[in-house]
Formats: sequence, C-alpha cells, structure tokens
Amino acid sequence: MADATGVAAAASSKDPAEGLAAVAALRALQESLEELQVVNARQHGWSWQQIAAVLQVSKQAVHQKYRRLGY
Amino acid sequence: MFEKFTAEARRTVVLAQEDARSRHQGQVRTENLLICLYDPPGAESVGAEVLTRAGLPRSQAAAAVQAIARSDTSGPDAQKLWQLGIDLDAVRSQAEEAFGPGALERTRAGRRRAKEGHIPFDVAARQALELTLREALDLGHRHLGTEHLVLGLMRAEAGAAAHIMAAAGLTLDSLRAAVAELAPRP
Repeated sequence: MADATGVAAAASSKDPAEGLAAVAALRALQESLEELQVVNARQHGWSWQQIAAVLQVSKQAVHQKYRRLGY
Repeated sequence: MFEKFTAEARRTVVLAQEDARSRHQGQVRTENLLICLYDPPGAESVGAEVLTRAGLPRSQAAAAVQAIARSDTSGPDAQKLWQLGIDLDAVRSQAEEAFGPGALERTRAGRRRAKEGHIPFDVAARQALELTLREALDLGHRHLGTEHLVLGLMRAEAGAAAHIMAAAGLTLDSLRAAVAELAPRP
C-alpha cells in the first residue's frame, strides 16, 4: 500500500498543482507546530527573545504573531 | 432537499460530518451516515431501531466501520504531506503525546483548516441521500426520516454502508419489512 502510494507520488511529482498544494499543506502543518512550541515555551517561562533566537526569526516577528494568544 | 428531513435525520447528517472530520477524511461517506444513526447513545434514531431489528446492532456496525477506517489514508492534507514523505498521522500522534488530544486541531492554523474544511459528501453518500428521498416518496411518506435513510444507504450499492449491511445479512426487503413494522408516526 505504501509502495503503491510512493510510486504514484513519484510519478506525479512534476504536476505543479499537486506540488504547490503539498507545500501549502506543509505550511499549515508548520504553523500548527510552531504555535504549539511557542505556547509551550512561554508556559515554561521563556522570553520572546529566547524563543525568537531558537526559531531564527526576529523577536518582533514572533511577538507580533503570538502575543494575541495571551502568553 | 434537507428541508423535509426530520430533526433526527438532520442530526444524523450533521453528526456524520463531524464523524468524517474526526476520522480525518476528506469526504463524508456512507459509513459515516450509517454509524451516526446509532448516535447519541441512549437516544438512537428510528433508523438505528430498524437496523438493530433487522440484525445489525450498534457494536457490529461500529466494528465494521472501524475496520474500514483503519485501512484509509485519511484526509486531503494527509495525502499531500504523504507525497512529501511526511506521515501526518505520525506527526499528529507525537504532538498529542506532548500536548494532549487534539493538539494540532486546537491551534489557529488547525482551526482554520477545520473551518475551511467543509467536508463534502462523496458520490455514494450523495446517491444515498437522493435514494432516501425516493424511498420516502415511494412509501407515500411526507417526512424524510432516518428509517428512509437506512433504505437509501442500502440502495447506494457503491457505498461501504451497503456492503456492511449486506455482510450482516440485511437485504432491502428485510429492511423495508422492518420499516413497515414501525409504529405509525403521529
């Protein structure tokens, strides 16, 4: 089953619609995981500066994105 | 079409959508409708009464639906990520292990996915709903109830629900007989 799916995926990997949709799904998943981790870090007492450093983004970016979650 | 549905039949349709979502399906299928006829426990639908009487109790139906659900590669996002070599189910269970059940779905991106994700009925489920209407009309009933939905599901032969019912020895005739035995509605 997994092999058949893999072959099908390889055969269609040059289809732009499928490729782009896969990237969009990945971005949505990334957003979810980032939020879980940021919220968890705040609950562990991490500063925005510390979080930003590990995420490799600016402190402003991460603060602006997540401050409304109330952490 | 939904305006003639009884409250109970509407509830079943709504529950089927939720059931499909909780199973991370991209579409609502006939087996979602079938299993939701038995919900909520203690307040089962008329359709569930028909099914039970005809020989398909809740436990048996649930086991059959679960058996199908396990062999399914789930929703559209899961399939897209799978192409990238990412197993969404594995990621989800990791996240839930660390942050509790439904962790991914609780995030903003997750809620957006759920809201945008109006889950359409697949071909067989749509066919079942149309045949539900046909069965009610044939019986001369003015309401569309869950008992008609059972008949519609049985007639939608492309759907898994029809296969589950047939495997349990149910036939269209036995179900129609069970419907006929129901007390007339006020």
